[in-house]
Amino acid sequence: MTVTDSQKMAYVAAQAADARVNLQFETEDGMTLNMGPQHPATHGTLRIVAQLDGEQVVRCEPIPGYMHRGYEKLCEVRTYPQVTTLINRIDWLGSFANEVPFILAAEKLMDVEAPPRAQVIRTILFELSRLGNISLFLGDLGIQLGGITIGFYAFRDREFVLNQIEAATGGRFHPNFDRIGGLKDDLPKGWIAETHLAMERMRRLCDEFEELVLGNEIFQARTRGIGVIPTDIATSYGMSGANLRATGVDWDLRRDACPPGLSYDLADWKVWTHPDGDSYARTWIRLQEVRESTHIVDQLLDSIPAGPIMAKVPRIIKVPEGEAWVATENPLGEMGYYVVSKGDLVPFRVKIRSASFNNISVVPWVTRGVFVPDVITILASLYFILGDIDR
Amino acid sequence: MGLVESGKLPKPLTQLLSLSRKYSLWVYQWGLACCAIEMGSAFASPRYDVMRLGVIPFPASPRQADLVVISGTVTDKMAPAVKRLYDQMPDPKYVISMGSCANCGGPYWDSYSVTKGVDQIIPVDVYVPGCPPRPEALLEGIVLLQERIGREDMADRWKGDPIVVG
Amino acid sequence: MRTWLTAGRVIRLSSADTPTTESSEDVVEAVRDERREALAERLTTVLGDAVVETHIRPGDDLWVRVNREAWAEVAEASRNRLGLRFFDFLSAIDWLPSPFGRDMDAQEDLDAGASSSEPAPIVTGYAGGDTRFQLLARLFDIDEHIGVTFKADLPDEDLSAPTWTGTFLGAEWHERETWEMFGISFTGNRNLVHLYLPGAFEGNPLRKDFPLLARRVKPWPGIVDVEPMPGADEEADGDEAGAS
Repeated sequence: MTVTDSQKMAYVAAQAADARVNLQFETEDGMTLNMGPQHPATHGTLRIVAQLDGEQVVRCEPIPGYMHRGYEKLCEVRTYPQVTTLINRIDWLGSFANEVPFILAAEKLMDVEAPPRAQVIRTILFELSRLGNISLFLGDLGIQLGGITIGFYAFRDREFVLNQIEAATGGRFHPNFDRIGGLKDDLPKGWIAETHLAMERMRRLCDEFEELVLGNEIFQARTRGIGVIPTDIATSYGMSGANLRATGVDWDLRRDACPPGLSYDLADWKVWTHPDGDSYARTWIRLQEVRESTHIVDQLLDSIPAGPIMAKVPRIIKVPEGEAWVATENPLGEMGYYVVSKGDLVPFRVKIRSASFNNISVVPWVTRGVFVPDVITILASLYFILGDIDR
Repeated sequence: MGLVESGKLPKPLTQLLSLSRKYSLWVYQWGLACCAIEMGSAFASPRYDVMRLGVIPFPASPRQADLVVISGTVTDKMAPAVKRLYDQMPDPKYVISMGSCANCGGPYWDSYSVTKGVDQIIPVDVYVPGCPPRPEALLEGIVLLQERIGREDMADRWKGDPIVVG
Repeated sequence: MRTWLTAGRVIRLSSADTPTTESSEDVVEAVRDERREALAERLTTVLGDAVVETHIRPGDDLWVRVNREAWAEVAEASRNRLGLRFFDFLSAIDWLPSPFGRDMDAQEDLDAGASSSEPAPIVTGYAGGDTRFQLLARLFDIDEHIGVTFKADLPDEDLSAPTWTGTFLGAEWHERETWEMFGISFTGNRNLVHLYLPGAFEGNPLRKDFPLLARRVKPWPGIVDVEPMPGADEEADGDEAGAS
């Protein structure tokens, strides 16, 4: 593992900030800035309390919990099919992707495998929800940095992806389509051709984003070298997904540890990494991810096998005793469910490992020594969904 | 303003006032949860385009807003902030409760940390059901609210029953 | 094995009623199993007496139960000597069977929960356990693609464990969450304050004996199966009237 110069600089800046915190405690100087819980720049109800020295942040603490809805407790009193309705709403932009690891964990405990057709369609829907999620990130990033145009573009093109999800599942937002042992329904007629067109649109959005935002001088000035996270800090905080790949770690659960039940092995695509670990790198990685994702969907659409979409499972689902951990590469990063079953209709304990929780816990570390406007850039590029932090 | 609130204004003047209030609703976006994205779709996306209805979704502060859309789950931790921001809005003010969570708790009806219905804290004018409601449903709620504002007698603004979309 | 040829690829067809045994997968499982056994052995040599029990599900995962006293050393050794550098999560499990049954999913549950006075025995999961509360944590090796789930028993009279924040910076929030949800304190974590809940909240929600009050007050409204169809009900009444 090599440490680049910019990563070394991040350490230096952090140490300088630490020194300033001590100074502040001694002199009781400085100012406390409160952002949120309702603030346009925090997209959601994340509250940020920053202690400032002039324009520089010496200490910044996110306060989550304004969206805590108690998923882990509620899962314990809901039957397995009811749980998927609930966990759709954790990461509300990539709803279908939330269901998949839980369903896979239940399938693992029950020793059921979905038929290949269901697996491929499941993977396609998984990628579509990733597109719906990250395309909004691309738009949102522009809005946070003051360029509203790309936000309109993203909202416009995202609708085409949502249309496809709705056509297949019946739900624009929360499909609740995945079942233990397969899927609820088959694809509607003409869906495959339409989806190809939607993928074409998404690729065009990526090109637009690249020209409008990534090539923009102001954007580069505000993101290059800002919010650098070194690799070992990232792993120590358990950051995952694009945030981890932006620090140079070549690790993607879809490719490296894909759980059985998803058919990523049928597609050929590239996992992008970036050595810098700054805000720009995180944005760039996500942009490439959208592109690769459209290619995955295109390839899988052409290789959907015939066959049933539902394996034989009992009508009343009782999951045998055991413990299972399944994690998948969700739009925001690694999302996993640790399911403990006691052979009952309801899970005994569900530990939800959501990506944003770990990704945002790094904020106190990474914001030391940056300027106030950089906090917005860093938060936007770390990309979190409140429901995914607070659960 | 005393004349307006007493309802003793000449009728044509009242109608003029109502008409202008109806088509210049400044709405404060209160993104709380999933519904916030659908609200964003309704307000910011070219497909739904709420501005054609005379609704302006730009105020950055509740002090400039006439209408607030509570879109999403209100938790017990969030509730004081909701109340506080509502109190900061100038009269006359309207509230749209968007989505099952804000209406009644929705899928979190048995949660230990969720406020079951924003109407426990602030008065609600329009309930938009759904989890989440489609952007069209939110637009219908806004249109119904505008109709009521157009017909509104200012003196008994708070006496009417809330609208339920659907 | 039935196959389907599409887009130049062979795709296997299978459904659960006709289980297909594929030799290639079995080989893969056996290989991964060896890797986990080797890792378990390395863990045992490095950690010594700290390891109480290990459990391997072939091709799936490795569970290791350790002593509570050695909890911090486990993290340190795993990260620095065994290459398990990626911090996945840290939480806990309350193994007490819920005193409320399924918490009033149906009327029968209410009656059963009220009548059963003797508590059901505590049964713990993989890698065993002797206490009601167990710590649960997971580390991952990004290079080798292998993960370990750690568990540690916590005696009821002293619900505390050494902190992991010295090794994994990200453990701070996880420990705050565990403290809030289970009431387990971590010695060495100086920032154990509420993470999710408002400061005045009482109780530890994820403990099994924490009741969901909304369910206590009113049974779940979604039990539609037990309610007769409105039309069918009236017809039945009409038939009875006609018969009499």
